[in-house]
Amino acid sequence: MSTFDWIVLFSWIVFLVGYGLWRGRGSDSVNKFLLAGKSMPWYAMGLSIMATQASAITFISTTGQGFVDGMRFVQFYFGLPIAMVILCATAVPIFHRAKVYTAYEYLEQRFDARTRSLVTAIFLVGRGLGAGIALAAPSIVMSAVLGMSYRWTTIIMGGLVILYTTSGGIKAVTWADVLQMGMIMGALFLALGIAISMLPPDISFLDAVRIAGAAGRLNAVDTHFDWNNRYNLWSGLIGSTFLMLAYFGTDQSQVQRYLTGKSIAQSRLGLLLNAMAKVPVQFLILFIGTMVFVFFMFVRPPLLFHPVQMKRLEQTAQFPALQARYEEAWQERQAAARRLKDGTPIQEFRAAEQKLDAVRADAQKGLEESDTNYIFLSFVTHYLPRGVIGLILGVIFTAAMSSSSGEINSLATVTMIDVYQRHISKGRLDSHYLLASRIATVFWGIYAVTFANFAQGFGALIEAVNQVGSLFYGSMLGVFVVAFFMKKAGGSAAFWSVVVGQLTIFAIARFTPIAYLWYNVIGALVVIGIAWAMSRMRPQVLA
Amino acid sequence: MNDANNEKPPLLGTWRNLYAFVLIYLAAVIFLFWLFTRHYAPAS
Repeated sequence: MSTFDWIVLFSWIVFLVGYGLWRGRGSDSVNKFLLAGKSMPWYAMGLSIMATQASAITFISTTGQGFVDGMRFVQFYFGLPIAMVILCATAVPIFHRAKVYTAYEYLEQRFDARTRSLVTAIFLVGRGLGAGIALAAPSIVMSAVLGMSYRWTTIIMGGLVILYTTSGGIKAVTWADVLQMGMIMGALFLALGIAISMLPPDISFLDAVRIAGAAGRLNAVDTHFDWNNRYNLWSGLIGSTFLMLAYFGTDQSQVQRYLTGKSIAQSRLGLLLNAMAKVPVQFLILFIGTMVFVFFMFVRPPLLFHPVQMKRLEQTAQFPALQARYEEAWQERQAAARRLKDGTPIQEFRAAEQKLDAVRADAQKGLEESDTNYIFLSFVTHYLPRGVIGLILGVIFTAAMSSSSGEINSLATVTMIDVYQRHISKGRLDSHYLLASRIATVFWGIYAVTFANFAQGFGALIEAVNQVGSLFYGSMLGVFVVAFFMKKAGGSAAFWSVVVGQLTIFAIARFTPIAYLWYNVIGALVVIGIAWAMSRMRPQVLA
Repeated sequence: MNDANNEKPPLLGTWRNLYAFVLIYLAAVIFLFWLFTRHYAPAS
């Protein structure tokens, strides 16, 4: 990377952190630090929620998924607008009226301290793992691309997050996210425009789309139902609705965002902005992956996208033979792609692609880390103009910080409100709890960096994050559904149904091949079913 | 904080109408994606 790109990258990071610090000034009470004094406008909440989700992993892994697997991953987000509407009608007014700092605080108002503590513990374990992965996953990729040590990448990323999150709390996190989201959109359109403009002169944009479609990459909707297929219309509409309900309705990292709203209406509008924008944004990101796929049909990419692994391969004895096979297979596929544009049946192209894939598979033998996560970054670093490279890498770097800051902030909030203030030190001054909140933020920041340093070697990054979440979200969603809609259910029903629901999910994950998106549905239904059954039992049976 | 469900949305008069609009929008987006998928599906 050129000196100019490094300057752009660091300038952007410094600007974003500075902006976060500036916007977060005046967070001098617990209410301001944790809930921004309930002053946030709807667009800031909506963009902040989107920025937290549009993490570095989204850039790195989702574009790679578009490249290798096409656009079917977009179906994963079909449940999001449905979940947003349900939450706007239920959770948002309930949490606002309960005047809580955390979703789990509400569970004590509705049930008892035992249920609140159990769900708090589930959140801290699940989100704690997620926070570590959220920092580790992009650090692995960014360290390889930037040529920095992995340890220092996590330390710099984590250190900057701790700096502005500890200083400005949720206000700093939210406003930094708003700026970040604007840059993400700009970077995405820039990358797409450049990918299209760099196609050979005889390949128009429509040709590129036709080729991507003929190669099976524009598979945005699959109406075939299959329990074991992660991404189809039905898993998207049903499984994803449950996951999104759980994520946005019970995960403090999201609940906290809409609790910062000036009013119920502002919080609702923030969520509805997310509902309407998220699916098209995800479509755009995957579409960029497919356009990069077409681009690399006409411009030969390296045999391996992972820069470090490629250098290692070049030192081996089998490299010249592999490279010769690769060159021949790539030329064949390029010719097949041109014929595909003219309407030749797909079989010829598929045969050429299989041949190319076989060479790449031979080159990747024995490698632990997936090459998929380096496809987009390889495109950025090798083919984009100077300055743009630094800008896009900077945006990816700060996207990782954005996700991490939201998670650390929510973990600190739950630690302070649901653990420290509830169980350890009651009735102290506001300034005492503000200090405790800042200390909790530093603690979780250091924890995330430490975890990340022990967590190298994840495969498909985004799925690792989602899978960890899905292990815990189902039972959490279930207990909130019970709280909102089952008036007869009491503390015992809530507590024991969560215990059984959580054990059921662990068993399903361990012993069955069911796709992880369904864990949320099953976990929630088990909790609801058991709570319903227990609430119908006589009180003396429950005692 | 302004209490209430009583605060109207800036568009479409009621929250129920706004929710219906979002769900219709989702259905339209999925339908467009389905058409897109079909239109560009590989020739067998």
